[in-house]
Amino acid sequence: MQKRLLALLLAMAMILALAACSDNAADTEKPADTGSTGATEPADTGSEAPEAKNVKVGLVCIGDENDKGYTYNFIRATETAKEELAKNGINVEWVIKYNLIEGDPVAVANEELAEDGCAVIFNNSYGQEPAMLTVAADFPEVQFVGLTNEGSWKDDLDNTHNAFNRIHEGRYVAGVVAGMKLQEMIDNGEIKPEEAIIGYVGAYSFAEVISGYTAYYLGARSVCPSVTMKVQFVGSWSDATLEANAAQALIDQGCVLISQHSDNTTPATTAEKNGVFHTGYNADMIDAAPKASIISTRIDWTKYFVYAITAVAEGKNFDADYSHGMAEGEVVMTDLNEEIAAAGTAEKIKEVMDQISKGELKVFDTSKFTVNGEAVTSYTAIDMTGDFVPDEGEAIWDGEFHESAVPDLMSAPYFALRIDGITLLNEAF
Amino acid sequence: MRERKQPLFHLVKRSELPAKYAWMIRLLSLLAAMLVGALIFLLLGSNPVKAYGEILSGALGRESARQRVVNIAVPLLGVALAIAPCFKMKFWNIGAEGQITVGAIGATFFALTFGGKYGLFAGKEPSLLLLLMMALGSMLCGAFWALIPAFFRAKWGTNETLFTLMMNYIAIGIVKWLQGGPWEGKPGSQIIPNFHASALLPKVFGVHIGWIVVLVLTVLIFVYMRYTKHGYEIAVLGESTNTARYAGMNVAWITVRTMLLSGAISGLVGFMIVSGANRTLYYGVAGGVGFTAITVAWLAQLNPFAMIVISLLLAVLSKGAGNLETVMGIPTSISDIITGIILMFMLASEFFIRYRLVRSHKESKEAKKA
Repeated sequence: MQKRLLALLLAMAMILALAACSDNAADTEKPADTGSTGATEPADTGSEAPEAKNVKVGLVCIGDENDKGYTYNFIRATETAKEELAKNGINVEWVIKYNLIEGDPVAVANEELAEDGCAVIFNNSYGQEPAMLTVAADFPEVQFVGLTNEGSWKDDLDNTHNAFNRIHEGRYVAGVVAGMKLQEMIDNGEIKPEEAIIGYVGAYSFAEVISGYTAYYLGARSVCPSVTMKVQFVGSWSDATLEANAAQALIDQGCVLISQHSDNTTPATTAEKNGVFHTGYNADMIDAAPKASIISTRIDWTKYFVYAITAVAEGKNFDADYSHGMAEGEVVMTDLNEEIAAAGTAEKIKEVMDQISKGELKVFDTSKFTVNGEAVTSYTAIDMTGDFVPDEGEAIWDGEFHESAVPDLMSAPYFALRIDGITLLNEAF
Repeated sequence: MRERKQPLFHLVKRSELPAKYAWMIRLLSLLAAMLVGALIFLLLGSNPVKAYGEILSGALGRESARQRVVNIAVPLLGVALAIAPCFKMKFWNIGAEGQITVGAIGATFFALTFGGKYGLFAGKEPSLLLLLMMALGSMLCGAFWALIPAFFRAKWGTNETLFTLMMNYIAIGIVKWLQGGPWEGKPGSQIIPNFHASALLPKVFGVHIGWIVVLVLTVLIFVYMRYTKHGYEIAVLGESTNTARYAGMNVAWITVRTMLLSGAISGLVGFMIVSGANRTLYYGVAGGVGFTAITVAWLAQLNPFAMIVISLLLAVLSKGAGNLETVMGIPTSISDIITGIILMFMLASEFFIRYRLVRSHKESKEAKKA
């Protein structure tokens, strides 16, 4: 009995100690606390009274910022967009939900955000859209955006939108940078012309990936005619080990330059370890691989966020589909690693970017590539019947394959041709 | 004389603890868990009182939130019911995750094959026939998945814990293959298209009809465990294999039979998740339910009615955690930690209800020897 009493007393003492400590800490934490609640309060009224220009905005992410890649790139844009909008007198409170891939958890997240008063909700991955659409119907006053997807084409909802920027333009420029490096190596006698092989770590054989590596390859070939490319699919958007293994396999097969459409920096570090070069995606990877990574390209989502949120704050509609590129500054190149880039690369980048922006250079110029030895003259882009076989929308006109052509076609990439010069090492994914 | 060092404390089994004290221990552990949780909130710079408040209001404040809570509780309860007979039998089935997944595959097969097709299933309303086919398919698949480790255990005495665990990863691997292979929607997307409306469970009071199914199951399992010959056999086998054998029970068949039942119910839960909640199949379909349900079953001490309460409690915590992220910017991973702490303390309290910690005295050495 005594012991039980003692135990009880001990427990009480512990509770009191904890409570005391929690009081103290609560006091010292006040500044941080008011910071977050301060942002909540005006936003709550904002959803009811848009003229006050306070907007609560939701973002549903497939990963989190630790990927230092895809999701990180969105998180960065939320911060810059918040700054930009503040200058225009629009107060944004971002509510971000992480690590949601598809299915019911995505629907729950969208529902929570909508009920919490978000005026617009962005979903940053293809797989989230079906779940998002099931919620969108219940909240007609909330705007739902599926990035990289195409639902707004087919659903009968007025409050759904899509957006994806023209990253193939950035890929093309990165390809030019890679091609110049390879050509320099050929000219210096470091490799033979036929040894100019690019290794590309791709996530899946998804149109977005195919479009990306094809643009990259065409960019490289525009300055290094002998270049060929091998693509290894890893079967994951983000798996550091698999990506490293894929890069290693490509290097073992003779690739002297690695690029990637996957989220981690391991392809860059693997390239560095093997003494080959690299260009990246989503983020500057020079820190990770200073002797290998030459440049990266990424979408800058800031302007789209500013555009959509401003429209919502002012109670206006915004485009159901949206795709901007280099001309608008929404596809950008990261800093060039001057120490390892070929001579004259910086000037060339400027020149090519300028040409793309003015529309003088066509990334998918149909006279510049062949499929099974033949030029492509017709391509159907959009699936309207839901069977995943495109049945509408001609993508080729004026000698160009028009990728992410908005408003003629759609923002979600649809280039899925397998052009000559590129070898796929596996078809599993 | 005494080389071995005495431990400072040792455990003594309690003879009988009055219910009053048992509940006091439970209450104190919950309090202690919440205090430790509060420390974590403080470390993150959040006000713990507000945080706990947000968990409650987020889970129970709105009708839609309450519906979500039920939505989360349904599979937890269903799987806890499924594994209860196994655990009663001391057969450690930690393969519910895989059995859910395989059940979901079975249901998805019928949804994709027949949903929206053949005139019969092309309507905009849920088709009873199709849903029954999906339910049956899921139960057969789940039962089959459970049969494999049960058979090996019954026949060769393999370790069911490892076996059922490994089966989970195989099941998840199969779904990944289906996602990228035969059932893939848009090429390269790794995504199976959403089910046709005819393959979706209808809703009753805003939640898919699965909640009625699991409530009925609760009663059935209670009766099965308490009042049937099967239930008695399971209980005897759980206490002692030899007793069961001596009483002339067919141990192998009881093991296999119980696992078939367990797998079938888990599979059925898989069907409810894909058809009622997700509307599609993906590799995260079980989402840890198979493991959390073990906690539910234990906390409820294998009592089906207590499982209703525990699964609802966990669902409140889980839904509240989502709200915490939306309102206070506290990541769900932190809420998972808090939930984990609460569960650990609750399980520990059951331990301390059965045992007590006694300070070892030198004099007690003689007593120990005796």
